[in-house]
Amino acid sequence: MIGIEHYIVVSSILFVLGVLGIFLNRKNVIVILMAIELILLAVNINLVAFSAFLGDLTGQVFAMFVLTVAAAEAAIGLAILVIYFRRRGTIAVDDINRMKG
Amino acid sequence: MDLTYSLGLVIPELVLTLSGLVLLLVAAWGGNEASKPVSIAACVALGGAFFLTAPAVCAGASGPDTVAFFGQLRIDAWAGLAKLMIYAAAGAALVVAPAYFDRLKAMRPEFAILVLFAALGMSIMVSAADLLALYIGLELNSLAAYVLAAYLRDDDKSAEAGLKYFVLGALASGILLFGMSLLYGFTGTTSFSGINVAIADGLSGGQLFGLIFVLAGMAFKISAVPFHMWTPDVYEGAPTPVTAFFASAPKVAAIALLARLSLEAFGTQATAWQQIVGFAAIASIVVGALGAIGQQNIKRLLAFSSINNVGFILIGLATATLAGASAMMIYLAFYVAMTVGSFVALLMLKDADGNQLETFGDIKGLSTTQPALAWCLLLIMFSLAGIPPLMGFYGKLVIFRAAVEADLIALAAIGIAASVIGAFYYLKFIKVMFFDEPVDAVKGKSDWAHWALLVIATLVISPIAFLGTEWLGGLAEAAAAALATAG
Amino acid sequence: MVDLTQYLPILLFLGVAVGLSALFVFLPMGVSRLTGAHNPDAEKLSEYECGFPAFEEPRDRFDVRFYLIAILFIVFDLEAAFLFPWAVSLDLTGWPGWITMMTFLVELLIGLAYVWKKGALDWE
Repeated sequence: MIGIEHYIVVSSILFVLGVLGIFLNRKNVIVILMAIELILLAVNINLVAFSAFLGDLTGQVFAMFVLTVAAAEAAIGLAILVIYFRRRGTIAVDDINRMKG
Repeated sequence: MDLTYSLGLVIPELVLTLSGLVLLLVAAWGGNEASKPVSIAACVALGGAFFLTAPAVCAGASGPDTVAFFGQLRIDAWAGLAKLMIYAAAGAALVVAPAYFDRLKAMRPEFAILVLFAALGMSIMVSAADLLALYIGLELNSLAAYVLAAYLRDDDKSAEAGLKYFVLGALASGILLFGMSLLYGFTGTTSFSGINVAIADGLSGGQLFGLIFVLAGMAFKISAVPFHMWTPDVYEGAPTPVTAFFASAPKVAAIALLARLSLEAFGTQATAWQQIVGFAAIASIVVGALGAIGQQNIKRLLAFSSINNVGFILIGLATATLAGASAMMIYLAFYVAMTVGSFVALLMLKDADGNQLETFGDIKGLSTTQPALAWCLLLIMFSLAGIPPLMGFYGKLVIFRAAVEADLIALAAIGIAASVIGAFYYLKFIKVMFFDEPVDAVKGKSDWAHWALLVIATLVISPIAFLGTEWLGGLAEAAAAALATAG
Repeated sequence: MVDLTQYLPILLFLGVAVGLSALFVFLPMGVSRLTGAHNPDAEKLSEYECGFPAFEEPRDRFDVRFYLIAILFIVFDLEAAFLFPWAVSLDLTGWPGWITMMTFLVELLIGLAYVWKKGALDWE
């Protein structure tokens, strides 16, 4: 029988993968965008699983909001990336170094 | 009817929404020539929202009457006071922006609209009484902010700042959201008061994880150490009016939200987060002070200064008392004035061709070439360093008093010691401006709006403002008292 | 022992699918031969795939205008996802729910008008 723990484990794995994807990836900013989506999808798995488990609809409503906001976020991320690419001609992570602290 | 009543409570937000949408259409059809009218209209909308919010703050609105939209929002005095600061700071950003962008031929009406929507998102943030409203407000603010950071499309640094801000901001939202999903799962509710009741008998493992993830996400948004690394780059890269906006309004919103979340949703388990917040506070003060020392770029220095100030504000939160919360509001009010003042002064540093100057080399001997500007900057820097009798000192005083009253004497002592390190780099301004050989680089003229803002900011932090501290203290106390009446 | 008979419907479904798709492919070919419309040239024989040459380096960059359309598509597509839960629960939310959704749609329309006027939907 699949219980709530299984969902939490899956979503935790996805979440950790997403976070690692942002920090370990040294190649391409598009991959970072995908990693962000992965994090948000991990959250959605959590929300929907908890919602079903608790018998409470709030989680599903929350998941809808997360989905749509994630879309807007991806759109803005892509737009900024396009601006950046037009300027610099590259989207490699290692090249984002115009400012150093 | 409940819905009509709720709509009546959020009239300031409705004003912002409607004016934002209408101005968007004006911007589409009017083109770049519409920039000026759109900016003015946006200022008027912010001013309208300001004056519509003010009565509730003065009356100290609290209790069940302030609950709107079935418990999603709470339009109380706490939210109101934060909103007043947000609208004022957003208005200041709109006032200084045209001069900066006109020279770069980058003034577009969308700037004012983005600021309006960011202000709207921040209003929702500070009023949020439910994780759902919190998330929507936070994202509305963040999405507008990402675009603002990358606003100068033809500038390398601006595009890079936007990209960095977006990636780290989205990561922060993700962490926050993961924490919220855990909190929802392990408490069975998304409302702050419901969570507070559910964790009253002790935190389970899942709830504790949720709480920590949420706090980490919020720490990102207020750029508290150890989640501060994006701040200097974003502040340096973003256009200066945008940086002035980032350093003031969203800080107020995120801190007011964090305080409400901590006290209303996690209030029954204060011991669980007090130590985390206390640690972040001390770390922010120290890292902010040490990081600022070697900086040559004034914008980067002000970024570290904002990290440093967030540390002091977090000491107020670490007390987990209402006195601490009201001290945070007082500190925030002066922080906004100091931040706006320092960035306006930075914007007024222009050479003869109108190019912006932003390094220490350019302001050498400013006191002989531009005495008025140098004296205003001197007062603001003294105030940031917390030197009496300026109001920055008063802000620190109320924070430390609250910490001592809450028996956090060690925290207060470390904070005071660390603020001495901080004083060093503010004094560097004074040394460079008053005792170095004049280079006479700052020649550009500034318009009356900059001067007016600078003078207002300087007056607010000058000793004259002591006359108003009792009034402000009363407002802050009423605001903090509203936090206690959740439900 | 797995009871294989319970998979019979799937087998039948696959059979029907293969049969139908074969019909769709070969019937027009046969008909065109019979009616004399069979007249291949280079353009007709080349593969077609939404505006691209079908075979090229897969890592090639493609036009940034595709991104723009994709960005706008994501936003408007997913905002429309709110319509489904709204539609099935309209009997519970009543007039306030209806007015709320119409307000939301008007906001989306304002966004669309902005995008349209700004020329983001023009290919050239």
